[in-house]
Amino acid sequence: MANVRLENVVKMYGKKTAVRGVSFACQEGEFFSILGPTGAGKTTILKMIAGIESITSGKIYFNERVVNELPPQERNVSMAFETYNLYPHMSVYENVAFPLRAPRWKMKLTPEEERKRVEEITGFLGIDKLLDRLPQNLSGGQKQRVSLARALVRRAEVYLLDEPIAHLDAKLKFSTQTLLKEFAQKYGSTIIYVTHDFREALALSDRMIVLRRGMVEQEGTPEEIYYSPKTDFVGRLVGDPPMNFIDGVLTTKGGKTVFQKDDFTLVLQGELLKRAESAGIEREGTNLIRLGIRPEHVRLHTERISENSFQLPIYAIIHENESSVVTFRLKDVFLYVRTTGFCKYQKSERVWLDFDPKWMFFYRKTVEISQEGSSEK
Amino acid sequence: MSTFGKIIFWVITLFVLFIIVAPLAWIYLTAFKAPNDIFTTDVKKLVFFKFTSENFQRLFREFPFWPNFVNTIIISAASTVVVLVISALAAYSFARWNTGRGHLLFTTISTRMFPGVVAAIPFFVLYRNLGLLDTRFGLTLLHIYFNTSFATFLLYGFFKEIPEELEQAAMIDGYSRVDIFRKIVMPLVRPGLAVTAVFCLVWSWNEFLFSFLFTRVTARPVTVLISSFWGSIEVQYGPMAAGAAIVILPTLVIAWFMQRYIIRGLTFGAVKG
Repeated sequence: MANVRLENVVKMYGKKTAVRGVSFACQEGEFFSILGPTGAGKTTILKMIAGIESITSGKIYFNERVVNELPPQERNVSMAFETYNLYPHMSVYENVAFPLRAPRWKMKLTPEEERKRVEEITGFLGIDKLLDRLPQNLSGGQKQRVSLARALVRRAEVYLLDEPIAHLDAKLKFSTQTLLKEFAQKYGSTIIYVTHDFREALALSDRMIVLRRGMVEQEGTPEEIYYSPKTDFVGRLVGDPPMNFIDGVLTTKGGKTVFQKDDFTLVLQGELLKRAESAGIEREGTNLIRLGIRPEHVRLHTERISENSFQLPIYAIIHENESSVVTFRLKDVFLYVRTTGFCKYQKSERVWLDFDPKWMFFYRKTVEISQEGSSEK
Repeated sequence: MSTFGKIIFWVITLFVLFIIVAPLAWIYLTAFKAPNDIFTTDVKKLVFFKFTSENFQRLFREFPFWPNFVNTIIISAASTVVVLVISALAAYSFARWNTGRGHLLFTTISTRMFPGVVAAIPFFVLYRNLGLLDTRFGLTLLHIYFNTSFATFLLYGFFKEIPEELEQAAMIDGYSRVDIFRKIVMPLVRPGLAVTAVFCLVWSWNEFLFSFLFTRVTARPVTVLISSFWGSIEVQYGPMAAGAAIVILPTLVIAWFMQRYIIRGLTFGAVKG
């Protein structure tokens, strides 16, 4: 097992920069996720760690040893590709056994030992019935699990998993996540996990980074990422429904500092005011600011409960298993509110909304939000 | 398809078929005919005649058919093997590392862009000085020279088809470049190699120009022998047809067995599984 450290790593493809100075450290035995939308540079980072993509500048360390120039064979990493990359002329068994047979690892397993290892991991992933098939006769989900099995069959210093469960159906996704977690704990493996799905990252990681256009937007534990997103981008990427944003200005009204969007105002005091002022909003002479709050931190009431409560009619209600999502419309933006239990309100009913001051965040606007509420993908 | 369309389809198909089959049929029929039946004006005798193996007997008895045939086998087989080794490595290098940034690949292919005769004279002078005229080795070398460019070009496409990530996966799995070439690349490119081998073999087998110019007696391939039946005084149709009948047989057999492979090989890039 190894720890992996990236120091200001840059990757350029010709004149296009794919990764712009990424630094992070993944501890030994840590489950570390890289979350980001398509094209953020996640796979590129993984390939640079694996050694199959050269590094334009910066350094990658394994156990504090620079590995920039080491070819993949000498890094002792293991990787599951998003595109599977199964060897088409080999059966599932041969594919999974292939890393075990490489002369470099000097494993020299007997055929029985080899079969035991292959059957263990394929049984673990539920593909032990497919061992004699060729990759071309497998479904996407099966191929993905074979590729995962091939990556996990060997004890490597670092496991690099690129969207390893993206193409599994919902049920398998869940069970495979459990298996991965079990695997990580059983062998104390260092795992770097790339995904675009925040649920996977939150569910699996010890720590994670959020990547945006080749730069680290935030690093932290899943809890930190979810509950205190550093930027509006992180807030929008993580969570479903995503974080609510209201773009307004800071002004003074009757001696108090308020957040204002048209006729919607919120009085800011104490800690909240400090937070708003430190959001770094003084830009080009405007005091534009973006207020962010997660759907579960908005409370609904039948009567006014605080100075900042405001009343809106319900636009729509979506009932989910354990909770409901109530949608409101505040001017040009949708506000999503998650209520636990069954929602007792009716559509079009006017209810009081109250933002939990503890969970209100202020950001500089860096993401455009369209009418439909979709964010930058 | 309308009835008219069907008729047109079959007329064209039969016409094409006739053009392809007629010469072959003529060769095989003529090969078994006595001289009188070859030159008769009786249309019926074109197909119905008395079978005779006299042409074949004459071919083996009066002409050096057998040694020449062996020459053809040796030269085409040897050149094909060497060509495959050279061009597989070259094509892999061009496809994977873009060796020479395309210029080298173009240079290689360009050796096929001028008429062979242009190269014949300098080669002839060179061969005369080196004492390679009328040797199997010399002719094999020439065939290697001409086939390598074409084979490299063909194989280049096949190697290009193999995703680079597949090789990267094998690197991560701990295999060296050589092992990857042996265990991943070669098995995947095998259909391409088969197609290329067939093309090289057939070209070399049928090659006439250089064989005619560079050999006289010892290294003479069978194509040159067959052409010699077309003399200035008379044309010996019987032995000529008999020789041709034997010589084209292997090519026909290969084409028959390999047709599925060849078609798949040529459309390799077009229909990706």
